[in-house]
Amino acid sequence: MSSQTSLDFRKNAAAALKDGSLRAAMQNATGAISRKRGDAMTQVDFEALREQASTIRMKVLDNLQMYVDRFSDNARKTGAVVHHASDASEARGIISDILKSRKVKLVAKSKSMISEEIQLNERLKEEGLEVIETDLGEYIIQLAGESPSHILAPAIHKSRQQVGKLFTEKLCCDYTEDPQTLTKIARKVLREKFIRADAGISGANFALSESGSIVILTNEGNGRMVTSLPPLHVAVLSIEKMLPSIRDLSPFLRLLPRSATGQVLSSYVSIITGTRKGGETTGAQELHIVLLDGGRSEIVKGAYREILKCIRCSACMNVCPVYRTIGGHAYGWTYPGPMGIILTNLLTGLENAHPLADASTLCGACNEVCPVKIPLMDLILKLRVDKISAGLAPAAMTWGMRLFGAAAASPTLFSSSKRLAHTFWPLIRWMGGKDVAGRLPEPSVSPLRRRLK
Amino acid sequence: MSKISKVPRFLEEAAKAMAGTSRVESRDMLAMQVLALIPQGAAVFCAEQTEMEKIIAPLLQNRVADYRKATVTVEQASGAIAETGSIVCTSEAAKSLQASLLPSHHIAVVASDMIFTDLDAFFASWSSEPPTHITLITGPSRTADIELNLVVGVHGPEKLDIVLF
Repeated sequence: MSSQTSLDFRKNAAAALKDGSLRAAMQNATGAISRKRGDAMTQVDFEALREQASTIRMKVLDNLQMYVDRFSDNARKTGAVVHHASDASEARGIISDILKSRKVKLVAKSKSMISEEIQLNERLKEEGLEVIETDLGEYIIQLAGESPSHILAPAIHKSRQQVGKLFTEKLCCDYTEDPQTLTKIARKVLREKFIRADAGISGANFALSESGSIVILTNEGNGRMVTSLPPLHVAVLSIEKMLPSIRDLSPFLRLLPRSATGQVLSSYVSIITGTRKGGETTGAQELHIVLLDGGRSEIVKGAYREILKCIRCSACMNVCPVYRTIGGHAYGWTYPGPMGIILTNLLTGLENAHPLADASTLCGACNEVCPVKIPLMDLILKLRVDKISAGLAPAAMTWGMRLFGAAAASPTLFSSSKRLAHTFWPLIRWMGGKDVAGRLPEPSVSPLRRRLK
Repeated sequence: MSKISKVPRFLEEAAKAMAGTSRVESRDMLAMQVLALIPQGAAVFCAEQTEMEKIIAPLLQNRVADYRKATVTVEQASGAIAETGSIVCTSEAAKSLQASLLPSHHIAVVASDMIFTDLDAFFASWSSEPPTHITLITGPSRTADIELNLVVGVHGPEKLDIVLF
């Protein structure tokens, strides 16, 4: 992940709009996933389930520190070493120290958005480690030197031809654009890495306070590989991933795969509790769990706290008309789409991300699909208010709205300004340029208000 | 949901998740069914830990001691979940979960009285101190990372066969 470019959102979006193959790929993929999601939700009582899931998540957020402490204590009892990192830099340092002190050379990684958030790979590369992403989509974008454009399907923006060319170039294999063949090539290359890896790094979908367990959902099986084959496993997750206990998992397992891909359940759900115990033949010898705060303990106290209920299903981006048109890279940081607009502003600061607040039509589709009932649209609207209060809105917009406000408050001023608009229309068109004013209808000589008198 | 309706629900959901499913009436038929699923000459790993594995293992033609060298693993899963069509594998009793992950063909035998109705019933069965690994396996390994094309068999098995007894 390169440095943040959220402030350039308008420029990024304009560039994405000109990329026809990107737009086609995004429309196809998000449309197909959303349809599958809709079909899958007919199998369950979505409203009842999301109410249940939301209640559990709110219960955790109301007592977040208590659940984090309980998790840490219980994970330690099962043989894990638990680390607390207040920010990204501390998390990078902790992980890098663990790997260096054990002379690790090759790390196999399964998908983790937190590791993207803290830019872990860049740091480990600087330290001279070989880090291999093993999720197929992540592997593709790692080969391409890019960042994920979608939190679940990171290479969603790439066509099969682009992947075929990339593999030929980087892996020296014969060109093919057949997804089946390409996948088998990756299987072979990555299998050897799994076996040779000195350490595995994973994220976690959930953490269970009562037993100190982490829960990982994958379809490919790479999550199982990195957490059970290498002798050392490092899991990096943010503190809000807590659930009270294993008995709270059911609604989330019913909602997450359905919301994400339309599956009843992901191929593999791994519930990992500590290190290999006496008599067991499975499990890492050494497990380190790095819990990242990264601003969450502040967010949980504020007006945006409900965003921390998020379980990273990506349903909100798949239905978002803005995301579906421009893809994930334009948002300029780790998390795109509606949840990304909010998280990016909260985690990196309004001053670094405020243009994203406009990246929404406020259509509310995100609110409708969110499996944990986050009022995404309302939080985006709130961001806009905060952005204006912080003086971050463009001057033209601030003054324009003030003028409009004054005119709209007085009927005389309102109708005379409309007459003025009609008189000066050629000038307005000329000043506004065809991109802006060209799309507006010409003001009428006899406005509707006058005709109705 | 009674035991009678659990079995068909499980078989239906497992099949939807692209697992091969079959059900046998007797233990003798179980071994026959498992043998019939193994391709000619394939190297098979069987840990021979459970009662069922002990019945099947001596009948295997080309049995290997290391799952890394096997293309097929035969094992008894500790349970199943009807709601999702999942089988349950754990690290209890020295079970190796890598054996069901590395070979490309996984044949799991499951006792029909070990099927849980749903996820809630399954999770309620665990104490606050679970084993190191509990893995729910639902169908074969899969991805849709290239243009959303479903490809089966990424890092885990490309074939999962479940035999209920």
